[in-house]
Amino acid sequence: MSRLAAVAAWVGALPGRLARWALDLPARLVAGLVATRRVLVGSDPSPEEALFSLGLLASIGAVVVTFLLANDLTPYPMLAVFGLVAVGWRGYQARTAKLLTVFATVGTVLTLGFITYFLFERAWEPITTFGLELLAIPTDGEGSTRWFFWLDAVLPQGDGPTGWNPAGGNPSLLAATWATVIVTLVAGAVAAPLGVLGALFIAEIASDGLREIIKPAVEILAGIPSIVYGFIGFAVLNSFMQDAFLDPGASFLIAGLVVGLMALPTVVSVAEDAITAVPAAMSDGSIAMGATEWQTMKAITIPSAISGISAAIILGLGRAIGETMAVAAIMAAGTTFADPLYDVFDQSVTLTSRIATSYGSASGTTLDVLFVAGVMLFAIVAGMSVVAQYVESRLSRDLGGDR
Amino acid sequence: MSEGYAGETALVGAESNTYDRALDATIALTVLSFLLGLLTMVRIVGLDTAGVALTDTFVWLLALGVGAVGVVALLDALAVVLVTSARVRGVGIGLVASLAGLTVLAGLLDVTLATLLGLVLLVEAAVVLGAGVASHRGVVDTEPSATPGLLAGGAFGVVGALIGAALGGTILSGLPFAFVGSALVGGLGLAALTVLPREDLGSSLPVALLVGLLGLVVVTGTIDVGWTWSPGQTIDGDLTGGVVIPLFTLLGSIVAGWGAAKARAGYGARGRQYGAFLTIYLNAILTVAVMVSIVAFVTMQGITYAIHGFSIGALSALVLLTPALALALDWARTPAGTDEWHSGARQFLRVTPLAALGALVGLLAVVLVTGEAVEIPFTYTVWVNRSPEVLDTALSITSRTTVGTLLVVVPGLFLLWFFLRRYGSLRGVGTVRERLSSVERAVGLATGLALVVVALLALPLPDALAVVPIWPLEALAAALALPLVWLATLATGGLVLLALGSLLAGGDGLADRAVDRAQAVRVGLGGALVLLFGAVLLEPTGGVNPSVGPANLVPVVAVLAAVSSLAVAGLTGIAARSTADGGVSRVLGKEGTLGMAGAAGFTVLAALHVALTGVDFSVGPLTIGHGGTLSWPMAMDAYIPLGAEPGGIMPAVVGTVWLVVGAALFAVPLGVGAAVFLTEYAEQGRVTSVVEIATNALWSTPSIVFGLFGAAFLIPRLGGDESLMAGMLVLGFMLLPLVLITSREAIKSVPDEYRDASAALGVTRWETIKSVVVPASMPGVITGVILGVGRVAGETAPLILVLGSTLNATEAIDVLGGFQFTASPPFVYNPTLLEASAALPTQVWAVIAAGVSGSPSMGWASALLLLVVVLTFYAVGIVARTYFRRKLDYE
Repeated sequence: MSRLAAVAAWVGALPGRLARWALDLPARLVAGLVATRRVLVGSDPSPEEALFSLGLLASIGAVVVTFLLANDLTPYPMLAVFGLVAVGWRGYQARTAKLLTVFATVGTVLTLGFITYFLFERAWEPITTFGLELLAIPTDGEGSTRWFFWLDAVLPQGDGPTGWNPAGGNPSLLAATWATVIVTLVAGAVAAPLGVLGALFIAEIASDGLREIIKPAVEILAGIPSIVYGFIGFAVLNSFMQDAFLDPGASFLIAGLVVGLMALPTVVSVAEDAITAVPAAMSDGSIAMGATEWQTMKAITIPSAISGISAAIILGLGRAIGETMAVAAIMAAGTTFADPLYDVFDQSVTLTSRIATSYGSASGTTLDVLFVAGVMLFAIVAGMSVVAQYVESRLSRDLGGDR
Repeated sequence: MSEGYAGETALVGAESNTYDRALDATIALTVLSFLLGLLTMVRIVGLDTAGVALTDTFVWLLALGVGAVGVVALLDALAVVLVTSARVRGVGIGLVASLAGLTVLAGLLDVTLATLLGLVLLVEAAVVLGAGVASHRGVVDTEPSATPGLLAGGAFGVVGALIGAALGGTILSGLPFAFVGSALVGGLGLAALTVLPREDLGSSLPVALLVGLLGLVVVTGTIDVGWTWSPGQTIDGDLTGGVVIPLFTLLGSIVAGWGAAKARAGYGARGRQYGAFLTIYLNAILTVAVMVSIVAFVTMQGITYAIHGFSIGALSALVLLTPALALALDWARTPAGTDEWHSGARQFLRVTPLAALGALVGLLAVVLVTGEAVEIPFTYTVWVNRSPEVLDTALSITSRTTVGTLLVVVPGLFLLWFFLRRYGSLRGVGTVRERLSSVERAVGLATGLALVVVALLALPLPDALAVVPIWPLEALAAALALPLVWLATLATGGLVLLALGSLLAGGDGLADRAVDRAQAVRVGLGGALVLLFGAVLLEPTGGVNPSVGPANLVPVVAVLAAVSSLAVAGLTGIAARSTADGGVSRVLGKEGTLGMAGAAGFTVLAALHVALTGVDFSVGPLTIGHGGTLSWPMAMDAYIPLGAEPGGIMPAVVGTVWLVVGAALFAVPLGVGAAVFLTEYAEQGRVTSVVEIATNALWSTPSIVFGLFGAAFLIPRLGGDESLMAGMLVLGFMLLPLVLITSREAIKSVPDEYRDASAALGVTRWETIKSVVVPASMPGVITGVILGVGRVAGETAPLILVLGSTLNATEAIDVLGGFQFTASPPFVYNPTLLEASAALPTQVWAVIAAGVSGSPSMGWASALLLLVVVLTFYAVGIVARTYFRRKLDYE
C-alpha cells in the first residue's frame, strides 16, 4: 500500500518537477554552452590560443563535412588539421592535446551512435510495413495455427507451414526467433551451472598457483574463434550426434552445447569478478565464527555476490543469443519450427545465422526483413547488457558500504 | 583448504583405518569412472570393448596411473615432494589399486566395458551405503548433522523426478501423462529419503539407491550398447545406449563421489565441504579438459597439412633462435628466489629452457658443419575430386647457409629493442669532452640532411611544382645521394673505430678507461647506427650502391661495425670481471649492453641494405639473401590450381594481417583519445556513465549486426563491392568499444596519488597526463588492445557480409604496392583497398560453405592456423598483463 502511495505522490509531484525543469532550462543551456566553450577553447584563453582552437575546430569540421559530401576536397582541410596540430603542438600543447582527445571522444560517440541510428532507421520502414506479420504464426496444411503457447491469441496467422519466405509474402521471423530461444536455453543450461561453479573454484577454492593456470586457460577458451568451434561442429560433432542419437541431421542440442561452451568463459570471468568483489572482511567474519569455507560460501559469499552472478549469466546468455558462426556452421538448413516445439533434435536457422547465410543472396523484401532481425538482435542483446550493468552496479552499491 | 584442519585424521579415529582407506579408494574409483565416462562419451574407448582389447586398455591406463602415482610416491620417499595429507595418499593408493583391480577383472570376467562400468557403479553404491550404515550404527566416529539439508534434497529430487519420468514413460507408456505422476513420485520420494533421515543415512541411502539403480540397469543389460529409445514418435532423435551408458556413468560417479567424500570427512560441516569441493574440482577438471582437448584436437587434425613441405635452412633457424636465446639467458640469470632446500629445483627450472635451446643450437651446428640435412618424413591428405589422396612430404632442416632479409630484420629488431630497453642511458658518465659533443651534434645534422634528401627523392613533387622547376630540388638531391652515402658510411666506420679504439688504447686499466670514455662509446656506437641507417635509406631512393672492388661498401662496413660492437661488449665484459666496484661494473654492463644492441642493429642494417638494393651479400659461405631458405607452403604459398601439391592459403594470411592492422589503426587512436578525455578531463557525471553503459552494450552486440551495418552503409560508399576497406572499418568499429573500455579501466587504475603528487609539484594537468598518467596506464592499454585485436582477428560473421569468402584464392592482396600518388586530390589513393580479399576466418567458412566439395584437411589446417594466430595474441596479452601486474605489485 505504501508503495502505491509513493507512486501516487511521485505522479502528483510530476507537474511541479516538469515546470521547474522548464524554468531551469535556459540556465542549463547557458551552463552547457559555457562548459562547451571551456572544453573547446579553455576558460581564459589568450586571443591566439582561442583563434588556434577555433581554427582547429573549423578545419576538423571541414574534414567531416567534405568527407560526407564530396570525397575529393577532403585532403585540403586534412592538411590544414595536420598543419595546425603541428603548430599547436609547439605552441599550445596542452590545448591541442585536449582538443584532440575531445575530437576522439566525439568521433567515437558519433561513430557508435551513428551505427545504432542507421540500423534502426534502416529497419524502421520494414517494421512499420509488415508490423506483426514479422512474427506471424505459420499454419499447418489444414489452415489451423500451430499451437504456440498463448501467443496465437495475440499474433496474426501466416499462410502456409513454412516460417520464412519474405519474397513470397511470409516475412515471419518467429521460427528463427524460436530457434534462437532453444539454442540459448540449451546453452544457458550448460554455461550457467558450469560457469558459476568454475567462478567459485577460481575465486574461492583454487590456490594461487592453480588460479594462475586456470584463469588464463579460461580466457584462452574465450579466445578460440567461433568459426573454429563451428568447423569442429560441422566436421565432427554433427556426425557424432547422428551416430549417438540416431538423429537425421544437425540439431539444436549440439549447437546449444557448443554455444554454451562458448558462453562459459563470459559467465566465469564476470561471476568471478563479482565473487572476488565481496569484501574479505565479510567471509573472514564467518570463518572466524568457526564456519567451514563451504558454509561461508553458501551463506555469505554467494548471497552477497548474487546480483553479480546473475549479471554474469545474463551476459553469457547475451553472448549465446548473438553467436553466429558456430550456429551457422552446425545448422545450415531449416526454416520451420521444431516439431514439437521442444524437440532439441530438430534443426532450424537462428536469427543470427539467418542473416549470415541469407544476406549474400538477399534483395528487396528479404533484405528488409534481415535488417529487422538484426535490429531485434541488437535491441535484445544491448538491453540485456544494460540490465546486467544495472544489476552489477547494484552489487557494487550494496558492497561498497565498507570501502 | 580442508587440509588446514589439524585433526582431520584423528577425527575419524585410528581404529577405523579400514573405513578411511575404503572411502579414499572409492573416491579414487569415482574419479576414475568419471574419466572413463568421458572417454566412452567421446568414443576414444568403445563401450563394447571386451576381452583382450579391454584388458589392453586397462593395462595402458594402469601404466599411466602407476607412472603418475609412482613418480609422486618416489619423490615423496626421497623427501623432495612432501605429501602430508592422508587423503591425498589414500586417493593415490586407491587409484592404483582400483586400476589394478579393474585390469584383473577385465582379464578374468568376459564382459564388455559397459558391463564393467555398471559393476563399478554397483561397487561405489555399496561402499557409500556401507559407510552410511556404519556411521549410523556408531561403528565409526563421525559427527553427522540432523539432515543433509534442502540443497542436497532438492538436487536429488530433480534427479529422482527425471528418473521417475523416464521409468513412467517407458513402463506405463499406455497411460497418457503417466510420466508426470511417476516423476512426482520419484522426485518427492528421493527428496524425502534425502532430507528426512539423519545426515549419514540421508546422504548415503539415496546415493546408493540412485547409483545402484544406474549400475543395475547397465549390468543386467536392460540398457546395452545397442539399446535405443525414442522419447516420442515426433521427436527426431533417439537415445542410444552409446550415449546413455556414459551419461549414467558420469552422473553416478559424481553422485557417488560426493557421497563417499562426505563420508570420508565424517559428515557434518566438514563432510559437506569435502563433498562440495570434490564436485567443484571435478567441474574444473572437466572445463580445463574440454579446453585442452579442443585445442589438441584441432592441432592433431590440421598439423600435417599445415606444415607440409616445411623446410628451413640451418642458419636461418639459428638466426630465428637468437631472440629466444636472449630471453632464455635472461630467465636463467634471474636470481632463483630464496635459498631454501628446493632452490636447486628452481634453478633447474631456470636453466632448462637455455639447455633446451642449446641442444637445438647443437643440432643446427651439426647440420651446418656436416652439410647433411635433417628430414622427418610424414604424410598428409589432400582432397582431389571429393576423395582423399595421401601425399608424402617431410619436415626438413637443410644445410643451406643463406638467410632471408626478413628473417634477419625481425629477430634483429627484437634484439635491438631488447638490449636498448635494458641499456637505459650513459649520458653524462665519465669525462665529457666538448669535441665529442660537437661530433654528436654533427651526426644528428648529417642524418637529418640524409633524411631530407630521402624525402625529396621518395615523395613525388606535385605536378604544379614540377612544371615550373624554379629550384632543381630533385636533381640536386640525386646528385647528393652518392657522396652522402660514401661520407656517411665512412663516418660510420670512423665512429665505430672511435668507440673500440677508446677502449683499447690509452693508459690506466681497461675498466677505468671504459668508464672515463663512456661518452666515446655512446657517441661512437649510437652515432654510427643512426648515420648508417640514413645511408641505407639513401641507397634505394638515390639509386646508388657504392662498392669497393667486388664488395658493396655499406654491408661490409655494417658487418665490420657489428663485429666491433661485439668486441666492445666482450671487452667490457672482461673488464667487468676484474672490477669489484659496483658503480664501475654498472657502467661496464651498460656499455656491454650497448655493444650488443649495436651488433644487432648493424646486422639489421646489413639485411636492410640487401632488402632495399636487392643485391645479395655474402661473407664466406654465409649469405644474406633476397630469397631466404625458409619455406612454409601453407602460409607462404597461394593455392596452386591443378598442382600436385595443394599450395597454401597465403592470401588469407595476408588478408588477416591487413584487416587487423587497418582495424587497429582506426580504433586505437580514437579509443585511447576518447578514454583519456572521458577519464581525465570530463567531469564524471551522467554523460560519462551513459557513454560507458552504451559502449558496454555495443561491446556485447552480436558481431553480425556490425556486419549488417558495414554491408548496408559502408559498401555502397566504398565502391559498391565487398572490400578490404569495409572489412577493416567494420572490425575497427567492433574494436572501438573494447579499446575504449579497457583504456578507461587502465587509466582509472592509475592511483590518484600519482596525479596529486604531480599536481603538488606545480605540474600542469596536461603535463601530468603526458608524463605520469599515460605511461603508468600504458601496459593496461596495450594489453587491452592486444586482447581486442586477438578477438577481432578471429571474427567471421561480419566479414562474410563485407569481405566475402573465397575458397581457393590464388593471389594475395598487395596493399603496399597499391598506393598511388596523384597530383590532384586526394593525392594518395589505393585501389587495392577496395578489392575483396581472403582472410583466415572466411577461409574456414568457405570450406564449410563449399559442403562436400570442400577439402576437410585444408579446413582443419586453416582452422589451426587461425587458432594459432588468435591464441598467440591472447597468450602475449595475458603474459604481458601478468608481467606488468607483478611489476606494479613490487613497486
